[in-house]
Amino acid sequence: MSSLVFYLLTVAIFFCIYCIYGWGLNLQFGLTGILDFTYITFVAIGAYFAGVAALQPGNGGIGGQYILGWHLPFPIPPIIGGIAAAVLAILVGYVGLKRLRSDYLAIVTVSVGQIVWTLIGNITPLFNGWDGLAGVPQPFNSVFQLDFNHYQWVFLVICVLFAALGFLIIERLTHSPFGRVLRAIREDEDVAAALGKNVFRYKMMAFVIGSIYAGVGGALTIAYIGAFNPSGFTTMETFIIWAAMLVGGSGNNRGMILGAFLVPVLFNEGTRFLPSPPGNPLLAESIRGMAIGLLLIFAARYRPQGILPERKTVFRLDGLPQGGEAGGDRLVPQ
Amino acid sequence: MAIVSFPSSILKVTNLAKSFGGVKAINDVSFIVREGTVTGLIGPNGAGKSSVVNAISGFTRVDRGVVELAGHDITNQAPHRIAARGLIRSFQIARELQKLTVLENMMVAPFQQLGESPWRALISRRAVMREEREHLAAAVDWLQMFNLFPLRDEYAGNLSGGQKKLLELARALMAKPKVVLLDEPMAGVNPTLAKTLQGYISRLRDQGVTFLLIEHNLSVVEAICDHVVVLAEGAVLAEGQMNELRETEEVISAYLGG
Repeated sequence: MSSLVFYLLTVAIFFCIYCIYGWGLNLQFGLTGILDFTYITFVAIGAYFAGVAALQPGNGGIGGQYILGWHLPFPIPPIIGGIAAAVLAILVGYVGLKRLRSDYLAIVTVSVGQIVWTLIGNITPLFNGWDGLAGVPQPFNSVFQLDFNHYQWVFLVICVLFAALGFLIIERLTHSPFGRVLRAIREDEDVAAALGKNVFRYKMMAFVIGSIYAGVGGALTIAYIGAFNPSGFTTMETFIIWAAMLVGGSGNNRGMILGAFLVPVLFNEGTRFLPSPPGNPLLAESIRGMAIGLLLIFAARYRPQGILPERKTVFRLDGLPQGGEAGGDRLVPQ
Repeated sequence: MAIVSFPSSILKVTNLAKSFGGVKAINDVSFIVREGTVTGLIGPNGAGKSSVVNAISGFTRVDRGVVELAGHDITNQAPHRIAARGLIRSFQIARELQKLTVLENMMVAPFQQLGESPWRALISRRAVMREEREHLAAAVDWLQMFNLFPLRDEYAGNLSGGQKKLLELARALMAKPKVVLLDEPMAGVNPTLAKTLQGYISRLRDQGVTFLLIEHNLSVVEAICDHVVVLAEGAVLAEGQMNELRETEEVISAYLGG
């Protein structure tokens, strides 16, 4: 396999994973208006728990200090990753969603991210500290026995299946009465409450479901790379997912696909091909961050609703009674 | 002797009190709203009208007193619980759900929709769709009655001020409420539309809907309110029919002037 094909397969796999990340964040922010500035922490929790669920029991020595070690077969680890992220979301949600308005919640999420990052790095027996987990088995490869290059195809199929299922679920939720209530809450929490909607409960549901997407995406990431450590969930990672959602179009799951292509793939990966001038090995890395920042600024200035904005819901009314009632005597519909 | 039967009270407010710091916004307020009537709540600015509406609808916690809706104590309950019991309110400045269409604004209103559960939205698609059709039919009916049907697919944020007020009322009625609290429904509405809105409220009252409304336009109050409660400095100053209140000394000096 040529290195270019290998590279393109890697990019395609991460494109699928970023779509999954993005749909979760889109449910939280695009639909519900929840400002989650530590989305990557839920990705990380999903990755770590899926990792320790798939790994053999740790030996307690160097590189082998971690909890669980259940050696569970795929796809159980991603399910555990999703559940772990959901549990963290419930804990954060109880603190942040009950009484706080969105801007204060944003501060809470940033704090949570810092706390989790520091705890995971410093408490080595949890997930092997700053060195992180390594040697996480590749899904189904004990059956296929493929070398890493050819295994790429198998993993791409797994990711496409997860992304397809994720898209189906998120689209159904978005265009259901549930999604409508979330958008009502985004527009005006008081009005939603005055119409009998339990705002806290719905925000919690959106927060948890979005975090499950993050957790499952994280589980796929660790299953692919085989390793994960605290350098994998920095603020920059959250920024990239946010940028993808805002550029693609918040509130639109198809826009999120476009955003996942433009930001993590085109801008983040494409800039890797920029030549590195001698003596400035970090220049391309810096340009990458700047390029994404500029893209976000241009999007905010010229297309604040994103390239593919939220679509207007138009109901089909065929078969319903229409016309002739206005101005009539009957005011209470039967 | 003729027997006069009064409709029973559906909303009962007893000794309500609320202070913000040292300011007594609501000071021992008591009144009742009878079923199938329009009750007006009037008074000068700062009299505590909006505070009373906020307290009744759960948006402000009261320090003391009891609010009963159809015999149930709803004092200090969360707004969504009060709404679910059948008390729907509007806001002083129309608060439409801007980035939802007019029809979607209507469709949010019905309680406990099947598809509002994410699980049911995923697995009971057919039942959810059936219920959606039922709600859609009711929403279309209301929009036609309020002449908003041609605007059904417009974002609610694009409506005029008066149309937003109409939408708020239609949306409230879509929830099949026992009592509708309207906070200055005529504010910012042109005279023709105000007349229309007034007509709707009267006719809905005749068909059994109960209203409590805050209003500054006294000719509107006189035309549609069966009973009027006058508030001043957070307390009930007087109550009765508007034509009687016009003759009451305290009401004249505190509110009506002249």
